[in-house]
Amino acid sequence: MLSFLLTHLKIMMPKLNPTVIYEFVVTVFLACWFLATILCQFKETKVSWFIRYKIDFFSLIPLWTFFAPHPGKRDYHLLFRDKITDGNYSEWQEMEITEERTIWSWLWNPEKRDKKILSDVVQSLVSSIPSYREKTGSLNLLMFSTPYIIVLHAISQYKKQSQNCFRQFMLAESSGYQKETAPSLILLSVFHQI
Amino acid sequence: MILFNDISQTVLIILSIGLFISTLEYLKKVQIFSPDGLLSWNVMQLKWTKQDQKSFLKPFFKLFSAPGLAGLFIIRCLLIIGLLFYPLQSTTGWILISLLGASLLLASLVTYYGSDGSDQMSMLIIITLILCNLPVLASGKLRDIGLWFIGLQACLSYAVAGIAKLVSSEWRSGTAIKDVFSTKTYGSKKASLLLQKYPAANRFLCWNVIIMESLFPLCLFLPWEFALIFLIWGFTFHFFTALIMGLNSFFWAFMATYPAIYFINHQMPWHLF
Repeated sequence: MLSFLLTHLKIMMPKLNPTVIYEFVVTVFLACWFLATILCQFKETKVSWFIRYKIDFFSLIPLWTFFAPHPGKRDYHLLFRDKITDGNYSEWQEMEITEERTIWSWLWNPEKRDKKILSDVVQSLVSSIPSYREKTGSLNLLMFSTPYIIVLHAISQYKKQSQNCFRQFMLAESSGYQKETAPSLILLSVFHQI
Repeated sequence: MILFNDISQTVLIILSIGLFISTLEYLKKVQIFSPDGLLSWNVMQLKWTKQDQKSFLKPFFKLFSAPGLAGLFIIRCLLIIGLLFYPLQSTTGWILISLLGASLLLASLVTYYGSDGSDQMSMLIIITLILCNLPVLASGKLRDIGLWFIGLQACLSYAVAGIAKLVSSEWRSGTAIKDVFSTKTYGSKKASLLLQKYPAANRFLCWNVIIMESLFPLCLFLPWEFALIFLIWGFTFHFFTALIMGLNSFFWAFMATYPAIYFINHQMPWHLF
């Protein structure tokens, strides 16, 4: 019996060379990656949450639902103002998130980067508002979230009215080139010392 | 000098054009990584809160500054140029693409916000090419498997996008494209006005995208002359999304997958008719 097994093992051994083992490992890895991509197309499941937030360190699992099911049909606006004295505020100033493209944007479009960053951050902030309201009943903890801090950091870079400046920001949305609906408020921050 | 006679090499060349443009775009906007920039590491590191993540990232802290990342982007451009002279299957070519992959992975830690589906497709292709072309160990069969993976991911992306649109009432009613084009973020004033004037064109475009994206995987099973219809549609679709919506990097990332789709179609043991 033992000699039979050894003979079989000897026949098998040449097949299990490093190339075959490597081929097997990479194939399994790619198959798992493909399977994980399929599973993560369903946003709300526990499995997709686990893969996305616990395993996918480098954002390698894509979400392929471009502009669906809800196409982004609103433009976000980020505005800020300073408190000069109690009851006395500066005018609201808008931080440019959106910009009309040039005729070369189909080939060369560096502007899309910072616009996309702010748009992502604002969208992330907007989407997390309901869960903060639901869990804590207020938006106080939202101030500790990364997107909130990025927005605060972004607006705090603008010229200050005084050295000891208190700044407030407002997130609003509008319907872009369509003027059918009026712009609406999404979030009004407290005054932050910057 | 490399040749176009290898499909993996063709995938890499098309992708490299897009990556080169995208890297130069980042280089032009490198100030976003400065301490007062939008993606300042002072703020972005807050995303990585666990102790093991912090200790893993510590050696890269200097790299994630504006000068560090500018250096990384310049090196990335040089690596891409180098790939024009060394074939993917040569040891030097493989080292160059591996370094390119490492630079993409590292930068992805800072560009968590602002990256898009084209960046993910690029990363997916590069990692697959690295794994499936490792000198000495990678076989021809593994290179074929890599092309299958890239082609299948491309088909999955179109199908998921199409089905997600099909279940959306905004897409089915034919208002979605007009609404997206109406935004300053992804739209265009001219295109928006045109679609407002011709609602039928709007409905046609919405359903055209839904049907073609949902049925896109058929291009693997159709005889090549019919499969080509999907690829020509894809080319036109990405060209116009680059032109109207400014999504230029999607064009190159997705065009890079088409040689892999061609490969799968020609390897398919049977076709639908």
